[in-house]
Amino acid sequence: MNLKKILNTNLVELDLKGNSKQEIIENLLDILVKTGNVKDRAVALEALLEREAKMSTGIQQGVAIPHGKTDAVTELLACVGIVKGGVDFKALDGIPSKIFIMTLSPSTRSGPHVQFLADISRVLISEGMREKLINAETKDELISLIVKRPS
Amino acid sequence: MTHLMTVLVLQLAVIIVAAKILGWVFQNKLNQPRVLGELAAGMIIGPYALGAIHIPALHGGLFPLPGTTLPVTPELYGFAIVASIILLFSAGLETDLPTFLRFSGKGSLVGLGGVILSFVLGDVVTVLFFDDVVHFMDPKALFLGTLSTATSVGITARILSERRKMSSPEGVTILAAAVLDDVIGIILLAVVVGVVKVETSGAGVPWGEIGIIALKAFGFWLISTVIGIIVAPRLAKNLKRFKSMDMIAIISFGLALFLSGLSEMVGLAMIIGAYVIGLALSQTDVAHETRERLLGIYNFFVPIFFTIMGMMVNFAAMKNVLVFGLLYTAVAFAGKIFGCGIPAIFAGFNMKGALRIGAGMLPRGEVTLIIAGIGLASGVIGQDMFGVAIMTLLAASIIAPPYLIKTFQGGSGYRSKLKDKDIGDIHSIELDFPGQKMADFIRGKLLEGFRNEEFFVHKVDYNKQIYHIRKDEILITLIQNEDKISINTTPENEAFVRLLMLEEVLDLKDFLSGLESMKSPDMMGADLLMGMFGVAPEKK
Repeated sequence: MNLKKILNTNLVELDLKGNSKQEIIENLLDILVKTGNVKDRAVALEALLEREAKMSTGIQQGVAIPHGKTDAVTELLACVGIVKGGVDFKALDGIPSKIFIMTLSPSTRSGPHVQFLADISRVLISEGMREKLINAETKDELISLIVKRPS
Repeated sequence: MTHLMTVLVLQLAVIIVAAKILGWVFQNKLNQPRVLGELAAGMIIGPYALGAIHIPALHGGLFPLPGTTLPVTPELYGFAIVASIILLFSAGLETDLPTFLRFSGKGSLVGLGGVILSFVLGDVVTVLFFDDVVHFMDPKALFLGTLSTATSVGITARILSERRKMSSPEGVTILAAAVLDDVIGIILLAVVVGVVKVETSGAGVPWGEIGIIALKAFGFWLISTVIGIIVAPRLAKNLKRFKSMDMIAIISFGLALFLSGLSEMVGLAMIIGAYVIGLALSQTDVAHETRERLLGIYNFFVPIFFTIMGMMVNFAAMKNVLVFGLLYTAVAFAGKIFGCGIPAIFAGFNMKGALRIGAGMLPRGEVTLIIAGIGLASGVIGQDMFGVAIMTLLAASIIAPPYLIKTFQGGSGYRSKLKDKDIGDIHSIELDFPGQKMADFIRGKLLEGFRNEEFFVHKVDYNKQIYHIRKDEILITLIQNEDKISINTTPENEAFVRLLMLEEVLDLKDFLSGLESMKSPDMMGADLLMGMFGVAPEKK
């Protein structure tokens, strides 16, 4: 899966607003809604929250990957948001989440969706990389950090 | 006519029962492949052993010698023909072209080396040993050369999976090489059968004519494969309109039979047509289902094939070629070990790795028998050479597995420490479930999850729950052992595998809460029982 094809500057937010899980998710979702590729915001939101209810997607070390499967989209959509101060996302390790990567994937179509999430999370394994992402000055810089990964 | 059919039905009865029982004994008691048991069944009940015993009611033995080139009746041999078509059709369906293309670099080097060297050695040793075979292009020599090429990687795959070496560079190279091995072996067979059909004596035919035949055989294979691969997705789509997987499977099989007949008509072996159709359909999404649906006839017919092959073993004829058989076996082994091992060294493996790859390419199986059967039926090789083929097969089955296990002990088979992933560091993720039923269910869910991620899921062995899950250069192995599921993969794919497993397990939460919201099982059980009122329940 080509990260470059999926992400562009419209899908990145360097200063994501929100003080709770609900707000963060809604604000991230709105980034995707603005692209016009989400047919039904309410349905998509429900899918995201439903997944979050099963287990927090705040994985570790300040990274969260809220995601959901929904028919409100026809192909994989993704966006990235940074909250410099961090937000309590009920992460497994209790650390406030700062880097958010959201994906929505169609529930009926197959595709490398989980693989995409895994690929992008792998970028974030190194602490140095996470620091760089959080402190990125421009959207282009952020994207190039994610795309230009050691292969 | 009636008597003929009576005998046929009785023969089949004895064959399927004997094949199943001996197959079971070999697999479960002797820890040998089932094929060998079925082969042994044929040897025991065949015309050269018990089958010759006079039974008064039949006015002869159950398996009398019909006095033709084949030691079994044409009616019975027809079953073996259909079985060989099923075998090759399934082999084609199983072929994993995308993975092969991915690893084609090292794999084809290794596969090609093994095929060329073992063909040449097998041919040359025949020319040197027999006074009446004077020419490299002698039909008998060509056939024995072809016989020497076929690798059956199923045994290797099973051993490597059990030892978690499937995703090692050696394992991946062996698998890719084996795909090429199959394809080249079958093209080679096509060419040799073509040449042999034209040749009348050992005198050989002009090179020009051989070229034309080879071109025709290769052309038929290539054109029908290309057309097949182009047409297959559309065909699969149209077949799906029937909304019945059975229809799709059976019609596909019908096509395999049709193309088999067609390839025989143009002067090639039947099995080539079957293989081509299988190969073409292997890339469609109905491939997996088709294989599953055909499993029933596969399980019925294929043991018959191996048993009939066993029946053709004439021990008296084998005695005379014992020396040649040993020599040929040694040469066949050398052909694979050096033919595959030497290219492996050039591909970056050290001696250890090269030996492992050579050992992995040793086992022989179905294809060897099919080629030998074709040779016997066409009269190119006699019962003595058929016996030699069986000897090689047996020797490979006995020697290869322990040898392979031995070679895989110790460190890396790579010459230089290249990248991490090339060293084959495999991580294993294990999950325990409260029972096998639960594990079965989760396994199904996980495999479906991988398929949704557009991975190819391939069951390595029909008797054990071992799966290969592949996409591009990613190879994941899933093994279920009763209530345990373990998934092996390289460290860089571990995150993906864990995430996918997590998602599937979380889905299970939905399923469980769904179950809870259902009526209680007791109530449902009571409802079900109420419906049975008036009918005495036999089981709980």
